[in-house]
Amino acid sequence: MTSTTTLVNHRSGRSDAASLPAALNAEWIKISTIRSTGAITLLTAGIGIFATWATAALVKDEVLVVSGVFVYSTFLTAVLAAIASILLVTSEVQHGTLATALTAQPARWVLVAAKTVTAIGVGVRLGIIGMGTGFAGGLLGGLEIGDTSQIAATAGWALLFTALASVLGLGVGMVVRHSAAAISGLLVWWLVAENLLWAFMPETVSRFLPFYAGGALLGVDVDTNTPETIAVALTPTQDALVFGGFAAAALVAGTVLLHRRDTN
Amino acid sequence: MITVTTLRKTYGTRTAVDDLTFDVAAGRVTGFVGPNGAGKSTTMRMMVGLTRPDSGSVRYDGIPYTALRHPARVVGSVLDARCMHPGRTARNHLRATAALSGIARRRVEAVLTEVGLETAADQRAGGFSLGMRQRLALAGALLGDPQVLLLDEPSNGLDPDGIRWLRTYLSDFADKGGSVFVSSHLIGELAMFADDLVVVGAGRLLAAESVASITAGNEVTVVVQTAQPRQQLELESHLTKAGLAVATDGPRLKVRHSSRSAVSAIAFAHGIAVLELSETSRSLEDSLLGLTAATAEFASA
Repeated sequence: MTSTTTLVNHRSGRSDAASLPAALNAEWIKISTIRSTGAITLLTAGIGIFATWATAALVKDEVLVVSGVFVYSTFLTAVLAAIASILLVTSEVQHGTLATALTAQPARWVLVAAKTVTAIGVGVRLGIIGMGTGFAGGLLGGLEIGDTSQIAATAGWALLFTALASVLGLGVGMVVRHSAAAISGLLVWWLVAENLLWAFMPETVSRFLPFYAGGALLGVDVDTNTPETIAVALTPTQDALVFGGFAAAALVAGTVLLHRRDTN
Repeated sequence: MITVTTLRKTYGTRTAVDDLTFDVAAGRVTGFVGPNGAGKSTTMRMMVGLTRPDSGSVRYDGIPYTALRHPARVVGSVLDARCMHPGRTARNHLRATAALSGIARRRVEAVLTEVGLETAADQRAGGFSLGMRQRLALAGALLGDPQVLLLDEPSNGLDPDGIRWLRTYLSDFADKGGSVFVSSHLIGELAMFADDLVVVGAGRLLAAESVASITAGNEVTVVVQTAQPRQQLELESHLTKAGLAVATDGPRLKVRHSSRSAVSAIAFAHGIAVLELSETSRSLEDSLLGLTAATAEFASA
């Protein structure tokens, strides 16, 4: 046991900020030492390769190229990124390790910042894996590479989508704090509720739905695109601001609740 | 030194902790006892900033927990031994905990050895018994080489060897100058190594004293058995004449408010041979149950 009493001193904003690298290191150790991280990575890779390979194999009435289809699985990659980031929080709540973390680091904003950076990293990593395996799947399906001039821009917007989806997932996890409820709530909104709303809303309103705006970042020409939707479509930057706004709102709400709630 | 001052917490209309005030001294083991629902766990959560008190404060050498610059190096706490991801190994659990507090990785190996888990370090915590989880949780609390240990029911799930090891460990920790604040429902267990006790009931402080003070007022009864029934009557008469309160219990006499030496002297003075001469007193457990009986939320019939 340390006999010195110099350790018993006050923290400050500066000392909190200085502890951020340690919090990031702890988050990295946490996500790299549980099996669900590997499972989600494998699932992302599997979906990436299968989605583009199947598209190449089954779609015969269009001229497809790898530089166009490699991003097709990113929508599902974003779903998985959001789930992975929900688990960054809810798994800690479920197993009680959030309490351990908060006793080790009472500055809650440090934990939120570390988890946010980690979530962005998870989203980008899964995005790269999904697109990389999507590229490979297209080649395996026998497609030509095609025009590569837009690949970097497409990949960049797609990575922004997966990163923001991940941050949104983190915020939802912090608000809901229960894995099954947070994941099912997010999926029901994303895959069901939003599609229903989209069907009944005027295009000038539906373009501001979070996942509609986020998905538009992929620049994929989908069957639901009509001359009316194209006419009022937001630019990629505007789509990013809309989706990012929802992600930021969820994160802020989660942060406020983390500060206000007692932790069991 | 931990100073708890008028700590209060309510949930709706229920007062879980009602203006608790007590100190935990350095170099001593302080037991924290009370019946279920007395507010022990809520108090301990407030002591490490997990639960926000409605009023009052907890200070470590004058500083609130949430204002400590290196909390893990001042206070090691175990509030729930189940707080670990079941899929993570013991070593990785401790690595993550140490990293968050900026503690060197070599401390992980040191505390694994300290709690006797070095051979299970690479096993997933999900396969651990409750006793092993208790040891792992204690290892996490020790990572920062803290000056204070706060432990909520640390002997739950430990086998007899483990309980003895824990008792010795905590006593040694206090002997080196550390403060130990430990809650337990096993009062007999606490009585074996606690120096001081904080007794609560229905969220209120019932006593905060040394174990010796709490047991000092306990009544002593001397039990004596003579070799022959006739001598029992004779001894009873002499004891009564000496002003002692005597009751017959089968072949034995029970003498209240006396001592073994006093009864022995009377028997010897009258040439009465005795087969048995012993003292009994209310145990610490009896004393504490007496203190908390009126406030127990859940009592046995």
